[in-house]
Order: sequence, then C-alpha cells, then structure tokens
Amino acid sequence: MNGIALVAISYDSVEVLRNFAAAHGITYPLLSDEGSLAMRGLGLINDRVQEDHAVYGIQPNARHVNLPYPGAFLLDRDGLVTHKRFYESYRERDTGTGLIAQTLGIIDEPSAPVVAASSPVTVRAWLDSPTYVFFQRLMLTVEVSIDSGFCVCADPPRDGVTPLSIAIEPLGGLEVNPARWPAARRVARPGFHDGLWVHEGVVRGTVPLTFAAAPGGGDHLVGVTVRYQACDGASCLLPSSIQLRVPVREAALIGRSLPTPVSKT
Amino acid sequence: MPLPPRDFSTIGPKEGQRFPDVRLRDQKGGLVDLHEYRAGRPALVVFYRSAEW
Repeated sequence: MNGIALVAISYDSVEVLRNFAAAHGITYPLLSDEGSLAMRGLGLINDRVQEDHAVYGIQPNARHVNLPYPGAFLLDRDGLVTHKRFYESYRERDTGTGLIAQTLGIIDEPSAPVVAASSPVTVRAWLDSPTYVFFQRLMLTVEVSIDSGFCVCADPPRDGVTPLSIAIEPLGGLEVNPARWPAARRVARPGFHDGLWVHEGVVRGTVPLTFAAAPGGGDHLVGVTVRYQACDGASCLLPSSIQLRVPVREAALIGRSLPTPVSKT
Repeated sequence: MPLPPRDFSTIGPKEGQRFPDVRLRDQKGGLVDLHEYRAGRPALVVFYRSAEW
C-alpha cells in the first residue's frame, strides 16, 4: 500500500489473531500484545474505560481492562512519529487507506469512479473502499475538473454567487462530516471590490462518511450533489449542479461478534 | 453527561519522537520487530481494541 508498512497491535492471543487473519485474508502483521505490557509501556492504556463506560451505561466487563486508546501512529522512514490520531470511541474507525489519505495526502483511486459532466465541469467521485462494515468511516473524494478558461466560485461566498459545495443525500445511519477543499485563489473581478475566491483546473474535495446504521444496513447508492457556479473571463454562468450516485456494499462481519447495545436507564 | 475532552497529544509517543522498539508475536507465531519489519519504509501502526469482539 503506497510502500507503507502496516501493522496492527491488540491484546489478543496469537491464536485469536491467526483465526481473524485467516477469516479476513489479512496478510500484514497483527501483533499480539497479550497482557498489554507493550501498550502499557507506550503509555496507551486507557485506565478510564470502566468509568467512561459507566457514563454511557455500559456494564463493567473483564475484557475492558488493559485496552489501549484506539488510534494510529504514522512513522516516517526514520521511525519518527509524524502523525498520531486517536479516538475516544472504540466503535468509530477509519479505513487504513482513509487514514493514510488524510495524514499523507495520498488518495488511492479505485478503478471505477462514478463520472458525470455538464460543460464546463466534470465531476468524478469515489470512496476509499468499495465496502463498509458497521461503524466504519470511509472517505468520499469528489474531484471537480474545470475546463480551461473557466473557474468555479469558492468560499468565502460573495453576494449573488454560489460557492462550490457538496451535499450528501440523507441515508439512514449515515453520518456526514464537513467537506474539505484545498485553498481557493482570489482573483480580481469587476463588481467585487475585494475580489472573488475561485478554484481552477482540477480540485479534490473530501467528505468523511461514517456508516453508523445497524449491521444489515445493506448496499447503498450514496447520492452526491455538487453545486457550483462557473465563470469565464467575461461573465459568470447561472449556478448549476451535478448529481452522482456512488455505490458502496456492506461487507460481512466474518467471525466478529458485535457489542450488545445496553439501554440507558 | 458528556465525557471531559482528553488531550491525546500527551498520550503515547509524541510527534517528532522515534517510535519505541516493539517486538511482538504476529498471527503466525513468529517474533516481529516493528522497525526491522519496516525496513526503512514509513509505517502505519494501528492500535485497536480486539479482533475478537
């Protein structure tokens, strides 16, 4: 994967990891830190799990002892930590490629992005994984290609212009995080005394999506609407939009038992 | 009642620090040394709760 070594560490026994790797076809090292001594030495053990869980009404459980904070470290070629990312919640996870895409700015493009065009704009959209599992976070990438000689308006908006934006059609259990765009460029424009912010060429926006529906949510077509207003050197066209549907399949949770929800009293 | 926010920058190895040496058994039972396994490559080291639950 992009020449990056991937290892995952948990307190599971070698036997548990062997079965898990076999069930999921995992070939990268799943390291066994039974007893959590290495993770404790690294200062990653969450000794507040029990009290945190009490806040959420989760019953005490022996397997919640010696748990690390869930997260990841990105190391450079010299083994120095360049990024770290941690979550309070054990249920919300990034995909490996999503994490790398966010931390390194590398985006793995799947083989078949969905494409739609309306001159002078072409939009391609894809997810960093064609499948999701319950409570997984996937990165949606929306690539907007603007024909040469044109630009599209960006944030911050100006009176009477529509900035480039992404809207995701509501879907049961789908949590949509704010879209991120690269920095826009300010250009001088008659009628806008402090200029107009625009994108030109090819611009990629990213939207983190969390599939939080209960298992069995099934396959989806994620509805994506890209709104924009294109301008050439002389004038701006009317605001317009392009719609796409990005397919995503639910992956089976092979050999995994899910936490039983505990109702709060 | 929401949990108090936690400062994760103070938890575990810090940015800019060399990640400590870790030697653990993998799913095949053999010892894996993290930095040896990297062999000069960048690495993503993921900590998760369990493969079992």
